Amino acid sequence: MSPGTDNHELFENLRLELRRGSLILAVLAMLRKEQYGYTLRKALADQGMAIDEGTLYPLLRRLESQGLLVSEWREEEKRNKRFYRLSAEGKAILKPLLAEWQSINSSLHGIL
Amino acid sequence: MELLESYLRAVKRYLPRAQSSDIIRELSDELRSQLEEKETVLGRPMTDEEVAAFLKQHGDPMTVARRYRQDSPSLTIGWELIGPELFPMYLIMLSVNLVITVASVAIVFLIMHAPIKLDVFVFPVLAQIVVLTLVFIGLNLVRRKYPQPWYYPPAEFTPMIPIPRGYSVAGLILWGPILLWWLALPHFSYLILGSDAAHLKLAPAWHNFYVPILLILLASISQRVISLFHPDWTWLVPFMRMVINVAGVLVLYFLVFKSHTLVVVADAFQGNAQYEKLADSVNGSLLWGVFGPWLWIWAGISAPIYAWYCRPHVRRLLRSKRGGAASPASRDAARQRKESP
Repeated sequence: MSPGTDNHELFENLRLELRRGSLILAVLAMLRKEQYGYTLRKALADQGMAIDEGTLYPLLRRLESQGLLVSEWREEEKRNKRFYRLSAEGKAILKPLLAEWQSINSSLHGIL
Repeated sequence: MELLESYLRAVKRYLPRAQSSDIIRELSDELRSQLEEKETVLGRPMTDEEVAAFLKQHGDPMTVARRYRQDSPSLTIGWELIGPELFPMYLIMLSVNLVITVASVAIVFLIMHAPIKLDVFVFPVLAQIVVLTLVFIGLNLVRRKYPQPWYYPPAEFTPMIPIPRGYSVAGLILWGPILLWWLALPHFSYLILGSDAAHLKLAPAWHNFYVPILLILLASISQRVISLFHPDWTWLVPFMRMVINVAGVLVLYFLVFKSHTLVVVADAFQGNAQYEKLADSVNGSLLWGVFGPWLWIWAGISAPIYAWYCRPHVRRLLRSKRGGAASPASRDAARQRKESP
């Protein structure tokens, strides 16, 4: 394997690691307003946070099992869809998480 | 609809049972929404080939299901032997094989009126575990070394996936020597009797099965030769294999259960008790070994599996006779769009 390929793989791994935390924050923030998976994914992509469904849906399930989201099945456009929104616990945790992110962000700006 | 439903069924197979229905409902809605969006962009219903390409891009059902599994069990001893994508299938196959093995051994002993003890199961069960584990370790190595988006396509997709030429060549390498061996048998009986060929000969009953088995072998070889030159004749594999396996079941049934004498003492040694006993022993080895119940069970299981794989080809044929080009999935989506306000 060439050094170029190694570097690319390393960059991809680091990029994914960097995105992982931000993605959780983005999903929680977007779900302050109730949405179903497909529209949430589109909205995230429109905001420059493209995420494939293979990552989003397992993440939504994990956040729900942690009590940060609540979901319900409802019919819309003649099809059953699962709507997600932030739970009371999710709302309570999102606030300090956003503050933490702001703090990291400004620290990083200072360092860079 | 069939392609998407088949894909979702394939994903569901690898999901934790408690959540599988819920996950599939949601995944179904997501994929339908994406298909609808694509059709809106295209301005026409998608063809089966386009739907298959879209689902192929979405990912191998095993890999898709793995993303939902939080436990992701695998077989490792410091390094990965069977990865988390293959591990659920490994467990399913192992369970099925062990049940068949235990049942086969029990049936054989019952037929032979022999006492069934625990130790008679030990070797076959251990052999199954070792062989299947080695096969899956091999598959895992191939998956890791040559990553492909589509290793185990659901049945509905097979009409759209050409038969890999390597697959046909591998079949010819396996079956070619077997056919030559079979062709040579009437002239060189030591190829099956070994050193006993000096005292034994093939019984007249043998000749009743020689031609049917030869035809089965020729059909098997022909299918691979045709697939090599026409990999897009995807229907040929399930149809031919179904016919071959059904024929195999019938021939082996009459061979194993209706005929007990495949070998007799050679004319020069007729009446010799030692060679009569030898003939009995060789007949037992042939009937329970080379042409034994394992081959019969194998063909009996393969026939309905290939029949199942014929379904999508028949459906496509019927649809083309009716003149429908677009996929049922897209027609369903188009109908839903039309109905929605």
